Amino acid sequence: MGIQIETGQRGLTDPELQKVIADAVPDKPLETNRKMNYFVKPRGRRLSEYEILCCYTQPTPDWIPGGLDWGDWTQKFHGGRPSWGNETTELHSTDWHKHRDPAKRWHAIYVKDKAEEWRYTQRFLKQYSADGQIRTMDPVWRDEILNDYLGAFCFSEYGLFNSHSSATRDCLGDTLRMSIAMIGFDKVDNAQMIQLERTFLAKLVPNFPESTAEPKKEWTEGAIYKGARETVQDIWQATYDWNEILWAGHQIYDAIFGQFVRREFFLRLSSYYGDSLTPFFINQMQLYHSQTKGITGDMFFHCLGDDAEFGDYNRRLMRAWTDKWLPRTVNALKDFMGIFAKIPEIEHVTTKDAIEKALYRVFDDWVEDYADKIGYKVDVKAMVETVSSGLK
Amino acid sequence: MAISAATKAATDALAVNRAPTSVNAQEVHRWLQSFTWEFDKNRSKYPTKYKMANDTKEQFKLIAKEYARMESVKDERQFGSLQDVLTRVDAANKVHPKWNETMKVISNFLEVGEYNAIAATGMLWDSASAPEQKNGYLAQTLDEIRHTNQCGYVNYYFTKHGQDAAGHNDARRTRTIGPLWKGMKRVFSDGFISGDAVECSINLQLVGEACFTNPLIVAVTEWAAANGDEITPTVFLSIETDELRHMANGYQTIVSIANDEAASKYLNTDLNNAFWTQQKYFTPVLGMAFEYGSHFKVEPWVKTWNRWVYEDWGGIWIGRLGKYGVESPASLRDAKKDAYWAHHDLFLLAYALWPTGFFRLTLPTQEEMDWFEENYPGWYEHYGKILEEWKARGCEDPSSGFIPLMWFIENNHPIYIDRVSQVPFCPDLCKGASTLRVHEYNGKKHTFSDDWGERMWLTEPERYECQNMFEQYAGRELSEVIAELHGVRSDGKTLIAQPHTDKDGKMWTLDDIKALNCVFSDPVDAL
Repeated sequence: MGIQIETGQRGLTDPELQKVIADAVPDKPLETNRKMNYFVKPRGRRLSEYEILCCYTQPTPDWIPGGLDWGDWTQKFHGGRPSWGNETTELHSTDWHKHRDPAKRWHAIYVKDKAEEWRYTQRFLKQYSADGQIRTMDPVWRDEILNDYLGAFCFSEYGLFNSHSSATRDCLGDTLRMSIAMIGFDKVDNAQMIQLERTFLAKLVPNFPESTAEPKKEWTEGAIYKGARETVQDIWQATYDWNEILWAGHQIYDAIFGQFVRREFFLRLSSYYGDSLTPFFINQMQLYHSQTKGITGDMFFHCLGDDAEFGDYNRRLMRAWTDKWLPRTVNALKDFMGIFAKIPEIEHVTTKDAIEKALYRVFDDWVEDYADKIGYKVDVKAMVETVSSGLK
Repeated sequence: MAISAATKAATDALAVNRAPTSVNAQEVHRWLQSFTWEFDKNRSKYPTKYKMANDTKEQFKLIAKEYARMESVKDERQFGSLQDVLTRVDAANKVHPKWNETMKVISNFLEVGEYNAIAATGMLWDSASAPEQKNGYLAQTLDEIRHTNQCGYVNYYFTKHGQDAAGHNDARRTRTIGPLWKGMKRVFSDGFISGDAVECSINLQLVGEACFTNPLIVAVTEWAAANGDEITPTVFLSIETDELRHMANGYQTIVSIANDEAASKYLNTDLNNAFWTQQKYFTPVLGMAFEYGSHFKVEPWVKTWNRWVYEDWGGIWIGRLGKYGVESPASLRDAKKDAYWAHHDLFLLAYALWPTGFFRLTLPTQEEMDWFEENYPGWYEHYGKILEEWKARGCEDPSSGFIPLMWFIENNHPIYIDRVSQVPFCPDLCKGASTLRVHEYNGKKHTFSDDWGERMWLTEPERYECQNMFEQYAGRELSEVIAELHGVRSDGKTLIAQPHTDKDGKMWTLDDIKALNCVFSDPVDAL
């Protein structure tokens, strides 16, 4: 048996080749430790498949805390700036490889979930149209609110999506990088779902404007999203610290403004206007929000806020960032209050009493889920009053 | 609230419209280009000397959910094969031991490339201004996570089911010890993420993916299958289905800058540097992995290289970009010389330093030596005789007290590291194109092996000032270094690395290495 094979010969299935291989294979395994990444500290009781496949994929030198590699970068930016550097964020960590996605999603798990959502979305849309459910939708809600203002919210989600690009590039750990790319991907998915809903409405409703022109005009020139637009622009392009981008985007802006717009406006009100379509999409966005909250909560509270050496410092910096981004978010929400003048009024649903209850729900959740965890003191009543002063 | 006549008419028409309908991905994607808006601060955080056009389109028009569906289908096939039929036929134990070792390196090193490409495409997603172009890079960002996980899965699979888990099970920690690591970081890690964004795209997509993924991901599956490994083809061919989109991204990068004046000034220099950077490592390392890391041979590496690097990439692929002013790299001619001998040169050094690996290396058998001589006439006279001498001195046997590194020292054949590529070379012994050059900078001597790398250094030395393994380990005893960097098996004494794959051969231990009293020194000190 020669060593030069013919085209197409395969060692597993060719008896002659397999005999040579079998003769060379050890009679028993040479190594008894069959656990990959056995040196990694598991988050739970046992090392998960997610940890096996993701942890320490990044070749990080040991001077970036948590790294296993040694030495310097083999190629740097023009002028000598390092490939990755501790100076890209003001937060400190004793281990940038500590983060874990609580849902333990590596790529295959992530796309499997989203693929199922896509298949179900297409089945749902066929059922919705065949059922004629569109007939119950209030025409003003449909043609003005969904078209213009849900359409304009697409740009908020798209801008936040783009804020993840530099964070994906600059962050200092592998599990962090994968999580950041995935939560960014969910944001562009949200933006696309909004356009998908508008395209679907255009198929069902004669002359419903599928074009993004009107919503974009509302987003870029209108008063209702003015504060939101300016905040998103600054998170996306005026902020360089990758942790601050994530903190401002997910822990402040989206946790308050995003939650109010999605949950307390479109989701809560849609049923009152005969809209059973929008909740289908908003609930997918809320699922992503919930998963993202798990991820960013692990990053900021478990890993950085509770860091044995830098926890106090990190929480102080997070409070400083909150001082910077919270007033802008509150202002964005105040601008958004103008939308209530655009919809047919329903007593105790779209009137001030109901709106303030909704605002309390959002702010109270935020205090419990975010502010309390870094010891940030805030006057919820004052914020609700500030926001509701924007009601026309 | 009153409604308009148009709204009323639309609403009335709904009564008759109950046809089941949905929305497909393309109907959403066609609006994507309008998702962005102009504002003062809208610019990339990663400056490039090129200007990427605002209206660049992408070739593969995916939306997030359709991307997930497509990848999920591929995953089902791939993981189904691995977890079902390949496990039932005990496939991991039907792989030739030499190839089992080769996959410790290939899978882990490719994983590093895929991982860094997550960050690289994040940078490109930031740099592009056109939403469609961003979208193309974004899908690649997700792909690179997929590929990182897939490469990890190959090591994971061999760890769980294979004949020698050591090295597969801790490659992410032990890979840093040996001479192949830093060079791999240059091409697969920092070369993708550190620099002008377009330059990084050229490194990653135009050269790394369009040129070297064919030999790296496709050719490797042929060598794997020949040597009994059906695990690697199952995973790598699934990876390759995504690579087509990545090559298209590289193409679109060039399209996006084609009308920029800077392109005519800088593009061909950046391409030449990127090609030389990638080939300087991949040409010898892939050739060595295929020919010295296998039992059954598919074809001489030089033929594979000629077909895929020289003809397909240098000719056809770059030819297609000719209309945008792209020229075949000037360094392609020199690379062709390396394709013949450089992998043999590298094997001598890798084998000499075998204790620092996380895999077992094997000397060629007589049959393999004949194969080398037949395909590379002159091989025996130079390499064969050296390898025979090492074997005669008992280099495979721990009781011999001999590792080939000692032969280099005894015969005054210093091994240097090329500062720019981090690839080791021995100017006395190499038949490839390498020759020694030395420059002083920042109070240190730096060695180089070729014109192209030397030129990169002279232009921007601050980008490549990375210490090498000899500088790092200077004054340290070899077994200490191995122990400190975890290069031992679970018994705490036997090395992961071995100089043979003979199932009846003795395994070297830390004590065997310690007995050699081999202390690292930096050969540059003697210059």
